[in-house]
Amino acid sequence: MDLGPFEADNTVSCRLASAIPDICKTDDCCLGIDEAGRGPVLGPMVYGICFCPVSKKDELKALKVADSKTLTEEQRESLFVNLDEAKSFVGWALQVISPNTISTSMLQRMKYNLNALSHDAAIGLVQFALDSGVQLKEVFVDTVGPAEKYQDKLSQRFPGIEVTVRPKADSLFPIVSAASICAKVARDHAVKGWKFLEDLGKVDTEYGSGYPGDPKTKSWLLNYLDPVFGYPQFVRFSWSTAQTLLDSNAVPVHWDDDEEDGEKSAARQNNTSMLSYFNRTSSQANGDQSSGRDAHRFFTERRLQNISSL
Amino acid sequence: MSTKKKRSPPTENSSWVVIATDSIVDVPKTATGEPTFVKLRNPSTGSASLYLFGSGDSDLYEVKAFTEDYHSWFIGQTVQRDGRLLYITQMDPLYLLLPYLLKAGAEGKFQPVEQVVKDEDFPGCTRLLSCTRSLKSLHHVADEKEVGSLKFHRVSQEKTLDWLKKKVERTVSTLRKSNISVGGGVKSSTFIRVKQEEQASDEDYLRYAHGLVSEYISEDLRKDLLKHLQLPELSSPKQEPPAKKRKLSDLPVEAKDDYTKLNSSDFTRKPPKKMTAAQKSLAKVDKTGMKSLSAFFSPKVKQEKH
Repeated sequence: MDLGPFEADNTVSCRLASAIPDICKTDDCCLGIDEAGRGPVLGPMVYGICFCPVSKKDELKALKVADSKTLTEEQRESLFVNLDEAKSFVGWALQVISPNTISTSMLQRMKYNLNALSHDAAIGLVQFALDSGVQLKEVFVDTVGPAEKYQDKLSQRFPGIEVTVRPKADSLFPIVSAASICAKVARDHAVKGWKFLEDLGKVDTEYGSGYPGDPKTKSWLLNYLDPVFGYPQFVRFSWSTAQTLLDSNAVPVHWDDDEEDGEKSAARQNNTSMLSYFNRTSSQANGDQSSGRDAHRFFTERRLQNISSL
Repeated sequence: MSTKKKRSPPTENSSWVVIATDSIVDVPKTATGEPTFVKLRNPSTGSASLYLFGSGDSDLYEVKAFTEDYHSWFIGQTVQRDGRLLYITQMDPLYLLLPYLLKAGAEGKFQPVEQVVKDEDFPGCTRLLSCTRSLKSLHHVADEKEVGSLKFHRVSQEKTLDWLKKKVERTVSTLRKSNISVGGGVKSSTFIRVKQEEQASDEDYLRYAHGLVSEYISEDLRKDLLKHLQLPELSSPKQEPPAKKRKLSDLPVEAKDDYTKLNSSDFTRKPPKKMTAAQKSLAKVDKTGMKSLSAFFSPKVKQEKH
């Protein structure tokens, strides 16, 4: 698998796709969606779709695709090669969502959670297949969150396509298994060959599985924690594992949308309570302007103050 | 995300980020002395503020700091926790001399300025007299007398106000040129207005400029200057009448606008609603010995002590 386009810039999301088999543009097709790398604190999350004509389902079965979790890495690799070689009737496409995209989405002011990110990636890939002329009739999805809600969302988004959302869909439907293999292989490649943008010298690649529970992963995170910047972009900052370590080991950083107790933060920011505007005994009415006169608005609007020391 | 991060108190900085005029930095090699920061008495607040004397004390600069929460600097390979940006801008030393002159002027005598400009708390104030502009501009605010080689000064209120009026007028013309919003209402300079702002009146400009100049003079002088500019003091909002208190009386309160009276003929009490199954079952409960809910809210009857 060629991850070139992603490796060229692993800070953003990237789409990789096979050529669209001609038969998929004429015959009714089924499509499977699955994801790899949802849980790890390290590396990208990969969404994969695989599609083939409904009439060729048996031929897909003959490729012996199975749930990627039951396979060894070598088996997955060889199965992916088989899939890729069946290009006469099988097509695939991947959305590689970089850890940086995950961090910035989940930590931005308007929070964009992982489920929404996942759903949108899936929707984007289905739309991509439609735009490429694939005659989609059936879509099978391994669930993210409640299956029913997700199924309704996808059915509404793609009217005319029969959507089936099922937990463990990757072991039930061969087309989903195929998608899960594509996604998993891409994720493995991306993690193994991760090109660190940061100047870290020779990076210790013993980061284990990347899952928060893995002690190897945890010690790697501690090792590469910079007190000011935190981690390399390989790490998902939005994971609580990463944040807990940052809270205890890095310099505290304050953002103006930090959650704080409303009243306290208001006091700290010298914000005036809304109630005070209704208060009758304002200082102006009492005429005690002379003591502690406010700076002219030219300066206050520009946040300019006199200082008495450097 | 509920973890609260404690803010440690700001530590002393080893460096500052400064915007300054070239005249401070481009010091000719023949110059005497480095530019120095000095604490002086702020003419408006009376407390200490930071100023800077240019090389050889020839010029005075004021130091203003841009400070806003949640700002930090990345400087080269280091981080600076305060996001402060210092502006060092030239200022007229006469503003700082004026409080001393006015204080001495109360005695009504001509005096040498060296004798007048003295401050135990801010010994640096004598350096103000070395500024090139200082002695030359004293005549703007004071009457002069020359006896031999000695010069004596006595502050003049009239001259001072005329001088300040000129300052205000100059400020007005600068404000007009630099397109600064001076009109009433709350406006932010960070928003770009699509519509051309309504033409601000001359009085808006004059008031704004007066407010700016007032940042450099005492409160008394601020008021005098306002009169001198023939601007009425902005009336503070009228004393509002005290909040109406609800009359406490034993008589039953009757609404003023009781519309139900108008159609009293067809206003009849509805028969009690049918109870729901739940209410019925509740009604059947044996309530003997139970207190009514309202009993918990009525004042307690004090029990007599035995």
